[in-house]
Amino acid sequence: MRTMIVIGAGLSGLMGALALAEAGLRPLVLAKGQGATHWTAGTIDVWGADERSPREALQALGESRPRHPYALIGAHAVENAIARFRALTEVARYPYVGGLDRNVLLPTAAGALRPVALLPVTMAAGDVRLGGEVLIAGFHELRDFYPPFIAANLAAQGIAARGIYLTTPPAFRRHEYTTVTFAHMFDDPTFRSDIGRQLRAHRGDATRIGLPAILGLRDPLGAVAHLQHESGAQVFEIPTLPPSVPGIRLFALFQHAIEQHGGRLQIGSEVNHGDGQNRLLTTIWSEAAARQQEHRVERALLATGGVAGGGIRTDHTGIVRETALDLPVRAPANRADWFAPRFLDPHGHAVYTAGVATDARLRPLGADDEVVYDNVAVAGATLAGTDTVRERSRSGVSLATGWAAGRILAGLVS
Amino acid sequence: MTIIPADHIEHSLEQSLDHCIKCNICTAACPVSAVTDRFPGPKYVGPQAQRFRHERQPSPDESVDYCSGCRVCNEVCPTGVRIAELNARARARLVAERGIPLRNRLISRSGLVGRLGAGPHAPLANALLGFKPLRAVIERTLGIAREAPLPGFSRYTFRSWFGRRRAPQTSNGAPKGQVVYFHGCAANYYEPWIGRAVVAVLEHNGFEVLLPDQRCCGLPLLSNGDFAAARRAHEDNVGFLAPYALRNIPIVGASTSCTLTLKEEAPELLGMQSDAVRAVAQQTFDIFEFLRMLHERGELRTDFRSIERTLPYHAPCQLRAHRIGRPALDVLELVPGLRLVETHASCCGIAGTYGLKVEKYRISMDVGAPLFETVRRSGADMALCDSETCRWQISHGAGVIARHPIEILAEAYGVVT
Repeated sequence: MRTMIVIGAGLSGLMGALALAEAGLRPLVLAKGQGATHWTAGTIDVWGADERSPREALQALGESRPRHPYALIGAHAVENAIARFRALTEVARYPYVGGLDRNVLLPTAAGALRPVALLPVTMAAGDVRLGGEVLIAGFHELRDFYPPFIAANLAAQGIAARGIYLTTPPAFRRHEYTTVTFAHMFDDPTFRSDIGRQLRAHRGDATRIGLPAILGLRDPLGAVAHLQHESGAQVFEIPTLPPSVPGIRLFALFQHAIEQHGGRLQIGSEVNHGDGQNRLLTTIWSEAAARQQEHRVERALLATGGVAGGGIRTDHTGIVRETALDLPVRAPANRADWFAPRFLDPHGHAVYTAGVATDARLRPLGADDEVVYDNVAVAGATLAGTDTVRERSRSGVSLATGWAAGRILAGLVS
Repeated sequence: MTIIPADHIEHSLEQSLDHCIKCNICTAACPVSAVTDRFPGPKYVGPQAQRFRHERQPSPDESVDYCSGCRVCNEVCPTGVRIAELNARARARLVAERGIPLRNRLISRSGLVGRLGAGPHAPLANALLGFKPLRAVIERTLGIAREAPLPGFSRYTFRSWFGRRRAPQTSNGAPKGQVVYFHGCAANYYEPWIGRAVVAVLEHNGFEVLLPDQRCCGLPLLSNGDFAAARRAHEDNVGFLAPYALRNIPIVGASTSCTLTLKEEAPELLGMQSDAVRAVAQQTFDIFEFLRMLHERGELRTDFRSIERTLPYHAPCQLRAHRIGRPALDVLELVPGLRLVETHASCCGIAGTYGLKVEKYRISMDVGAPLFETVRRSGADMALCDSETCRWQISHGAGVIARHPIEILAEAYGVVT
């Protein structure tokens, strides 16, 4: 029987499940559907709100904002999580590069520049500091990725760039295309050779070529190497709109590692109720055909996301609630205080900081800071005290608190 | 007659459209749209096309008929849109407008087909259906693909075996309780040994197995859009089973599609909501779900012999649609020496009767290709899967024996009959 339960299969739930699985505790991951991996860029942003390096920002947060998730677990715990994540991706031969010393600026599918701390090596040549002319290439068939638009926006920021469209080889044409359709095509060497030849023909003076992040699911490093060889330029991926191919790769390597260590994932099972007594969560229920599935709980990790991910739900009456266990939520008292008057207010909107407050062991706290459950840890975007989108810390907070929560629940943190 | 009831389920399906955030995660996961242009994917055919489906107006598209009903879209949807149900009801509307082809009427009546073929004359029926020129004629006249995997009829039915056998073999005196066994068409007409394994395992655990009348659960009718016939089938089954369910006697099945139909598919798609329907749904269990529950209560016998084998296990779509995890893995990991490796393939492709159809056979084989490849690469000469049509497809596509996990459990108990 599996009594170590992880609720949520985004980055924080997967990191937590990995920690529990590696400790031999055979976790069961329950998730409503595919998690944030599938709709986020697959990069790790740790801190990008200002010019400080992520490491400097982390160290300063300890004093300036002691209830920030990074401050709760400590800068050292963040470093540990990143080290484990990097080792995981290296073993899976899909390594991440970068670190906490400085952010790398990567172009987005809108041609904006986005700071990230860690990135898959398939995106490394996108670093704008590398200089030289950039060719942005895409496909008419792939929606929401417009090379001329991206190139024009990069050029407006002083980066020499051209945008061109490639031709999908006739043998590969379909009626409908998604990022994943293209990823399967890039798994095929004959498709890559054709694309590589087109890139060489269009290359001109460009030393780097940016393509949408669709360069294969089976062996993306091999695909990038192949395209570089054929085109004669460095090739890098630019994250797309969902579904995110880099995120799907991440999910797959986590799933493999968690199962290798005896864990199990159950996607499509929404946890909607929990029950406990004497500060211990004892049972949770997940939605199932005809009746709910009951799970006995020894320890649980709550990692269901925030307002965007579905872990925190708001409604028009002003109610803000945590959806899986109905834990107390810190949120503006009145609905009128949810939003700043201006949509693009530089300070953001208060409702996006709503979440579950915790102590340093990530245990959920009630209104008077009393511990609600001793055997529960909360991680990721469900946590209160931060607007991670505005801080550009979303995946970093998820990764670090997910790992820390898993280690705490495994009894590995004193 | 109204095919689609204007019930609370229809209302909740309509509401679920608003939850679609157009992320296309379903499209990316859909095994059918990955291999054919005839199905543009769950998002288009489900929540998007639904906006254009109105009563008294013609259906906006025919591509919904290429949905195999595997429900992978429901499984992966991050926001809980009930895409598979939308598609099933949309197909039923299409069928109500245009009528049901003879071929679909035939293959969706698995009880009738089984009654015709099973029995002492089974070898003759099997020889005929294995005769290639005849299959070519059937393909041309009826549209059942000549290569499609059809199961062999059994010389005897499970029910005849159950009726003939001597006293129930409950061990240790008085039974621990009673369990109704819903065998479904496959165990009755094609694979009676699976029914025997179920009975043996339940009796080994001290249960008295009851076998009330029953007919086809109606899933093939539902997936071919014949909702009127499916309703009759479910009304009959509720009539047979409710007297037990209302006395809290569990109804156990080893066919994951039959049990899913009793639990959810029939009540939800057909909008059947009586107390009797609900009681049957709530008392229905997949066999391994039931055994896992016994184990959680400390009531499952664990006197297993060791089985030193590593086997690939495919969790069929219709089991995943129960949303109960992998109960067969949970129970079989108690058997010493046995190691099951989950295939993680999204679908075998057959989807009940889908892969039998001449225009869909190729699609079904392409959908199943990654699974066949995984099974072949495992090097094992046997694969495990809880669903019958999937087992037949796996044998057909991967060339290995495919067995129900309950057969391995019966072997581990040493109660093979």
